[in-house]
Formats: sequence, C-alpha cells, structure tokens
Amino acid sequence: MSDIVLWYTTRGAGAVSMILLSAVVILGLLSSLRFQSSGWPRFLTPALHRNLALMTLVFLALHIVTAVVDPFTHLGWLTAVVPFSSYYRTFWLGLGTIAFELLLAIVVTSLLRGLVGQAAWRAIHWLAYASWPVAVIHGFGTGTDALSGWFMVVSIICVGSVAIAIVYRILQPSRDPLTSARSEFRSGVSRKPDQ
Amino acid sequence: MTMESTKAAEARIRARDRALSLLNNITAYVAFAAVAGVGIFGTVSALTIPGASASSSAGATASAATSTSSDSSSSSSATSGLSSSSGSVSSSSSSAVAVSGGS
Repeated sequence: MSDIVLWYTTRGAGAVSMILLSAVVILGLLSSLRFQSSGWPRFLTPALHRNLALMTLVFLALHIVTAVVDPFTHLGWLTAVVPFSSYYRTFWLGLGTIAFELLLAIVVTSLLRGLVGQAAWRAIHWLAYASWPVAVIHGFGTGTDALSGWFMVVSIICVGSVAIAIVYRILQPSRDPLTSARSEFRSGVSRKPDQ
Repeated sequence: MTMESTKAAEARIRARDRALSLLNNITAYVAFAAVAGVGIFGTVSALTIPGASASSSAGATASAATSTSSDSSSSSSATSGLSSSSGSVSSSSSSAVAVSGGS
C-alpha cells in the first residue's frame, strides 16, 4: 500500500471517528434522559450508543494504525501509547493519544461493568465529557485539513450538535421515576441514628 | 394466563423484535456510511490538500517563463530546472513540453 493511500486513509478515518464520537456523546446524553417515542423504545438509545462506541474504536484504530505504519511520518508505536512522546506536533498528537486512551478506558469498563461495579463505571464514564473535546482539539491542532472548508463544516456540525444535546440535557428534568424515592432513601441513610 | 395477557405479551415480543431489527439496520447503515465516509473524506482531503494550488501555480510560472523567453540566455536559465526536457524546449517554443518536463 502506498504512502499516499495510508496518509489519506488516516485523514478520512480521523474525520469519520470525530463524527462517530460526536454521535456517541449525543446518544449517551439521550440515554441519560431515558429518551423514547412511538416506534423508538427506550432500550434502543443505549444499545445504539454502545454499538456506535465500539464502531468508533474500530475507526480510531484504523486512524492510528494507518498513521503509525505510514513510512513517511515515522511516528512509531510509542506515540500511539505514550502521550506527548511524538517528535511531530508533540502537544496536539499527545491530545489525540489521551483522547483515545480515555475512550478505551470507557469502553473497557463498560464491557466489564459487572466486574468494576456501577459506581466505578459511572465515575469513569464521566471521562467521556473530557474525551470528546480533547479529540476535537486534537483534530484542530494536528489535522492537516484543520483549515480546509470541508473539515470546518464537519467540525461545526459536530460541535454544534453536541452543544445542543448538552443544553437539552441540562434543561430537561430527570425522567427517572425513582428520583424522589432515591433522594428520600439517601437522606434517610445519611441521617444520624439519634435524630 | 388469560387470553388477553397472552396477546399483550405477544405484542410486546413483536415490538421488541421490530426494535432489534431497527437497531441492526441502523448499525449496518452507519457502518456502511462510515466506511464510505473514510473514502469520501480521504478523496476530498486529497483534492483540497494544502499546497496543491501552490504547486500548480509554480508549474504555471515555469511554463510562462519558458514560453516568454525569446532570447537564448533566458531560455537556458529556464531549462536549467527542467534538465530532462531541455532538448525539446530548445527546439520548440510550445509551453506544454516545458510543463510536462517540470512536473
């Protein structure tokens, strides 16, 4: 495979990974809202969220492997594992490594949710809110196409969609039917016995 | 179990099957679109690669320099960077030969 094909595959897979990761974040926000409608049962949102997260890992792997094996770049495998170890655009590539490892931690703990426990899984899952912006900044800083019109359009759509989903998530009240029961239970547990 | 509850359970099972089928279809479509997206974005980035317009303008400059040089001194300086086609440039005044040598 020629260097040119590897290079363009790296860039294409990077853009697709950013779109997929944005979709995963939006679906995660909708899952927390227990979104459902006629013809769209509630379990579909987290199921699609999980499928797209795994698909994002595949395209991220394609993005990383094609960048590392490209003989023109000479990035090396260490760059894909250790952040800020690259000779080329050290900071921006390091952000990409961090974003990938955060996403990997989220996916692995989600697959091993029964072993790590609900509290640890939830705490690690909050890293998604850090992984996505770090990945987007990596694209703007490292990307050869960062100033290209098409990449700008793709980035604006992704950032705008996630921003709208976050605002919608903040404005919407919790749809957990057990919210009041949980809060009463917690207050009862935290209350001292002599009170 | 009464007849009504059996029908309700069957309806729920059918609804769940339809939803799972929808999930599989959406996942397959997204996977196909993502694979196509890698090709499309790769092609678009290749067509809009930074520096592509600069190289083409450099080629146009070389062409212009060769075609406008009428005296022998400027012609030799123009062909110094196009060594593989210097012979044909000296025997022809067409700019197309100089451009093909330059690229």
